[in-house]
Amino acid sequence: MIFVRIWTLAQNTVREAIRNRLLYTLLFFAIALIGTGVLVSTLSYVESDRILQDVGLAAIRLMSVGIAIFVGVGLIHGEVERRTIYTILSKPVSRVEFLLGKYIGLVLTTWMMLGVMGVAFACVSLATGAPLDSGHLACFFLIGMELVVMVATATLFSAFTTPMLASLFTVGVYLLGHLSRDLRLLGEQSDAGAIKPVVSFLFEVLPDLESFNVTIAAVHQLPIPTGEVLWATAYGLGYATLLLFLASYLFARRDFR
Amino acid sequence: MASEVSEVVRVDGVVKDFRPGFGLRVKRVLHGISFDVKRGEIFGFVGPNGAGKTTTLKILMGLIRASDGRAEILGSDVRETDFRKHVGFLPENPYFYDFLTGREILRFYAKLSGVPAASREARVETLLEWVGLADAADARLRTYSKGMLQRTGIAQALVHDPDVIFLDEPMSGLDPIGRMEIRNLILRLRGEGKTVFMNTHILSDVEMLCDRVAVIVHGRIRYEGRIESLASEDGRMSELVVAGIAPDIAQRVEEEMQGELRGHGERIAIRIREKDVGDALQLVLSSGADVLSVTPERAKLEDIFMTAVEADQRDAAGDGAATETGGEAVR
Repeated sequence: MIFVRIWTLAQNTVREAIRNRLLYTLLFFAIALIGTGVLVSTLSYVESDRILQDVGLAAIRLMSVGIAIFVGVGLIHGEVERRTIYTILSKPVSRVEFLLGKYIGLVLTTWMMLGVMGVAFACVSLATGAPLDSGHLACFFLIGMELVVMVATATLFSAFTTPMLASLFTVGVYLLGHLSRDLRLLGEQSDAGAIKPVVSFLFEVLPDLESFNVTIAAVHQLPIPTGEVLWATAYGLGYATLLLFLASYLFARRDFR
Repeated sequence: MASEVSEVVRVDGVVKDFRPGFGLRVKRVLHGISFDVKRGEIFGFVGPNGAGKTTTLKILMGLIRASDGRAEILGSDVRETDFRKHVGFLPENPYFYDFLTGREILRFYAKLSGVPAASREARVETLLEWVGLADAADARLRTYSKGMLQRTGIAQALVHDPDVIFLDEPMSGLDPIGRMEIRNLILRLRGEGKTVFMNTHILSDVEMLCDRVAVIVHGRIRYEGRIESLASEDGRMSELVVAGIAPDIAQRVEEEMQGELRGHGERIAIRIREKDVGDALQLVLSSGADVLSVTPERAKLEDIFMTAVEADQRDAAGDGAATETGGEAVR
């Protein structure tokens, strides 16, 4: 029964997204951005395929994470604000089930969006004769794993704060998450004694989102080791699980006044 | 089995403190309240705005946590969730996913409540018929009127055929017809053996529907007792307004039934014991006079309510006077 309830909540979250016109607008912009890659690539005589795919994948990554953050930060807050949570929690639904249902629903939604953008990317690549291979598939898969982490981050902040603060925190985690390797390097090279432990702590706590970024390898058709993909998958799932544990802990203690 | 417990709801010494803002200051909104609700009764939880009614109900629904004390429904701690398959809840001014249709939202709640797939569709259709939404079942909820949303709220609260139903201000914002429909529905639920907990500040609804009542003022239960016992103290009174009554008939009503007559001329109001209403009507009608209205007097609960509020004000003023309303229990 637990899985039925979680799945029912997830399905409903997906349905809400499908019936939300705003998401279609975002999706349209994403596809338009992928299309602009064609224009940008014509500006260069060399490596136009790579420029096309670079722009396309960057647009997909940006818009996917944008949608995840945009919807994710209001995921729980919206339910409390609109008081739809009252009738749901009065049913035999625990708060953890509610949180997981909403989370899974949003992950599925972002994956669906990613799928549509992937199809648009493939169409543009095929139409322009740009190469497509398993590296691109791995790249999309890892963008999907990054979304697993980012939706969990947005859900965590949405579980205890307002959408505005949750947006700031989630965007902050996203930016720092992509810089965390640079931060560690900075710490290692720094002479200041206090910086090293702080930077090291940040590296340990923040998600290493560059683990999910194989865009350069995919675009340049470099080999992407399976082990690297598997490790990133395990890391993403583990990190998201930890975030959801924390979100559940905080959410379980909330009063819905 | 939990649902065999005779006390369906038990609230024991429940305290709720809130911390407004980020300071250390604590605001106590429930001061150790206690009451219980028996199986099969309609229980009215009455109090002025801000008394703590909704806070209490939210604790019972697991939406907020009590700071101290214990609250149980069907023998289970309200922090648990499994027993909620026997519980229905209609919040005040309910909100639903407005992107869903009436039929979809009931299916959604039926699934969450564990209604078996085999009987789910039939149950949803029955509820849609029952609350009069069958014709609008495929319209999105964003197109529903307030009354239709309230009826959707009732339907979702009943979709899993619960044993106990909690209603928070169920008449809120409804027109007279809508209120009558909800009243009939509540009486129907009692007829089916359900227990109904009703949060309201409309005393006439409580007197009309409830078996027992608790009055809460500023987070303290000031009265708990049966509705009939309120009336049996003096006997309920009713007022008859009649037109064209002959003087000798009026005199008989006054003398034989201890009726109190007011007014003169064509239209007269007669205040009479409720048990004598039938005889008085027979007498008046057989004399050829017209009966314009029969209104039962329901001032007793209002008196208790006002006494409770005044007692609270005295306590707040610090005179420490004991609260005394003549009811079964005053805390």
